Amino acid sequence: MRRAPRRGGQRSPTILLTTEATYPHAVGGVSSWCHLVVGGLPEFTWRILPIHAGGRRPRQLFELAPHASLAGQITVWCEHLPRRQRVRGLRHGARPDLPAELVRGLIAWESDQDALIEALTWCRRRPGELRPTFRSIDAWRRFVAALRDVVDEGHPDAGPVPELDAVDAANLYQQLYWVARVAATATPPVDLLHVTAAGWAALPALVHKHLYGTPLLLTEHGVYVREAYLASARSTAPAGERFVTSRLARGLTMATYARTDMIAPVTEANARWEVKLGVDPSTIRVIHNGIDPPEDCTPPPGELKVVSVGRIDPLKDVQTMLHVAAEVLRRVPGARFEYWGPPTRGQEPYARACEDLRKRLELGDGFRFMGTTPKPTEVVRAADVVLMTSISEGLPMSILEAMAEARPVVATGVGGVPDVLRGCGVVVPSGDVAGLATAVATLLRNPDFAARLGRRAFGRVHERYTQRRCLARYRELLGELTGDAAVAA
Amino acid sequence: MRRARAGGAEADGIVRARLGRPAQDVLEAVVVLEAWGGIPTHDAFGVSAEVLAGRREPDAPARRWAPPDPGGRESVVAEGIALLMAILAVAAWAGPLSRELGAAALARALQIALPLTLALQWTLRSRYLSRRAGLRCLLEDRTSLIFLATAIGIPLSLLPPFGPVAGIFVVIWVGGTLLSRRGWGLGYGTLVVGEAWALGAGAPAMASLVVVAGATTLAVLVAIATSEASTGEQPGRLARALAAGLIGALLGGVLIGDATLGWGVHGAFPALALVPSVAGSLWGGFHLWQFHAEIPRGLRGVPLAQAGGPIARGPAARIVLGALARLLGVTLVLSLGVIAAGHWTRGTDRPSLFVAFGCAALVCLFVSLHESLGYLRWALFSAAAGLAVELAAQRLFAVSVPGAALIAGASVGAALALAPLTRRLRSPGRVLATALWIR
Repeated sequence: MRRAPRRGGQRSPTILLTTEATYPHAVGGVSSWCHLVVGGLPEFTWRILPIHAGGRRPRQLFELAPHASLAGQITVWCEHLPRRQRVRGLRHGARPDLPAELVRGLIAWESDQDALIEALTWCRRRPGELRPTFRSIDAWRRFVAALRDVVDEGHPDAGPVPELDAVDAANLYQQLYWVARVAATATPPVDLLHVTAAGWAALPALVHKHLYGTPLLLTEHGVYVREAYLASARSTAPAGERFVTSRLARGLTMATYARTDMIAPVTEANARWEVKLGVDPSTIRVIHNGIDPPEDCTPPPGELKVVSVGRIDPLKDVQTMLHVAAEVLRRVPGARFEYWGPPTRGQEPYARACEDLRKRLELGDGFRFMGTTPKPTEVVRAADVVLMTSISEGLPMSILEAMAEARPVVATGVGGVPDVLRGCGVVVPSGDVAGLATAVATLLRNPDFAARLGRRAFGRVHERYTQRRCLARYRELLGELTGDAAVAA
Repeated sequence: MRRARAGGAEADGIVRARLGRPAQDVLEAVVVLEAWGGIPTHDAFGVSAEVLAGRREPDAPARRWAPPDPGGRESVVAEGIALLMAILAVAAWAGPLSRELGAAALARALQIALPLTLALQWTLRSRYLSRRAGLRCLLEDRTSLIFLATAIGIPLSLLPPFGPVAGIFVVIWVGGTLLSRRGWGLGYGTLVVGEAWALGAGAPAMASLVVVAGATTLAVLVAIATSEASTGEQPGRLARALAAGLIGALLGGVLIGDATLGWGVHGAFPALALVPSVAGSLWGGFHLWQFHAEIPRGLRGVPLAQAGGPIARGPAARIVLGALARLLGVTLVLSLGVIAAGHWTRGTDRPSLFVAFGCAALVCLFVSLHESLGYLRWALFSAAAGLAVELAAQRLFAVSVPGAALIAGASVGAALALAPLTRRLRSPGRVLATALWIR
């Protein structure tokens, strides 16, 4: 195993953290978690390797801790090329089978993981040959032949593959080129590879592990393949495009699961998915997200205020929330709903559709979009009930924040929500407007019951979901995986 | 909150109701059942195989392609108009400049300025101007640009009398490209036409050229400084931009390599003779602008079985042929017009010259297509071979026909560029996958 060098005789285990479109270039739940773990575990040396989409210069939004540094950055969909390598004055040859190998390894329902990792490792060894390989007509023809085989695979779980056309094929070919480019990225010598998503961010780590045997840890905030399929299910793109996107995400996830030594999902709900997708349960260790809760809690203000905090995004199902608000306002006329959070980038049309629906439902001041808040804790503290209508979640921080402020939560039973709210909130199936409205109205009409639920939530956060506990469990796990008994103890 | 486990038929109904179509595979069925059906993960996995069991037919594929708007077509038109005005103006400048500087000095200045201008224009286009926020990228790279301007300006200023004149031409022409990109092409055109009028009215040539160059520089600085807000867009690859610059320089060399053209010696001639082919190139290039959008549109619905091989009358070949027809048609018609008006322009009635510039336009079209598809080596080779043949023909054969060497060089360059292009364009699937989308 290629280990990080010792520093001044004292060896601080080094961890490579790979991220995808999150830390340190974007804000959000995963980035906050990265910042917490990296900053809170100074006994390790952290190297961060972020992946971001090209075309634009990324802006670093988080200041790295002194014991953390960037190990480079991977820009995909850009024009810049890796260096060509020459050995003894000769250029290495291209590998015209590479795109075909990748399509068989990542798109086929049943694939040979060893062949796939071999192909990805070749990319690391010959980064300069990737462009000539993918631009060759031979590679394109072999790729098309392999894709036709995949289409004809006929696996019962895969269903009949939509009729792909030349554009779908070219689109997939381009994506596989970028898979190869990401896999080709050089990684520094480290003691542990820590991947934050079972997708693109895992590729450099998979190759590193194959080359040097370094242990690989995956933390799944949301199940990568599940989120990709959710996006595909909501998409209006042609069937071929949806097929390419979702199957590639599945391929990346399966490749990651096949090579990971340990998975640390943030919730039991993720673990259930991972087991269903073939992960050995003994390699899963759930480590919940944590927050820093106040020592004391304040009573609800008694203003019939219902608050939601989150981005305006179809995954949050804001339109269901608007219907819930309409129903609640009919039953409790004095109630007021506030939605705090900006639209997700690219979801501005959805935000406009939500605003149109708000007007159509004639909610008036009964439901207001409040925009971004720099103080989510205060916003939650001013609520009598906190509402969440998402159709997909991992372990939502907004719910933990509400619980930490002793506010009763009504939420849809998605992801880790039922596990978190067990015994201290109301969980309703997603999309169930009547159920959600009944729960909210009941809590608004019964403030004593609501306060009791809030206090139980407060106690549960202190017991199970604190930052200290989260960091302690990571310290122990990372110590085990890096072989550092002192840290693990 | 746990919902009772749904049966296969019920689950299939939930999936179809939510998606408006059958599930793609078991994972999509699970996701839908869990997210919108409220069915727990374990049960959703259990029932999803039943959802898929009944499926035999694939989801009907959509046959549409909505390419992102490439933008910038208006700027191409403005750039074209500005370029034509600049050529006409330079034709009008030639007489007064020749009288003041001497024909030899002017010819030398043009021989330096043309390749240098084309090199800079190709470099700027490759690295900056092909971006939506190209001028902003230019502003953010200002240090290297100031260095480049200094590296070019100082040597030229040390080569009087033709060096400074060449430098002024470069400033005015390259400045025109940047101003056109900013949408100020008509203002620029007015400036160069105004200079032609001033020279005709007897203004001192050098002094007025310096004024025009100064005004152009000032306008360029304002144009760049007031360009669109920063989008974080990154400039193109430096190595590719430098290669593009080299290609531009070689094509410029092709234009000035034939001494029989008599740049600067024959007054307005041969600048006027350049107008038909430039106009043809502009229309052809304008048509070619659709290349990136039309190929995927044309390939939508082409079955996978045909994606790897040649396609008769494919979209790529169709667009290039359309561009070619426009280039040749406009060049021919306008050449005939200029020849017919030859008695006004004192000497622009030599058909060989129009043929020569038409050939030059062809090689430029084919080479630029190679460059835009990322086949830089072949583009460089074609341009370099064309220039070499032109220079060799001039040296080895003492042909008195004006433009004969240019015809020979440009024809060879065009033929060399066309051969691989024809082979590639027959397989549009390959062009899309290996050239357009892998840069």
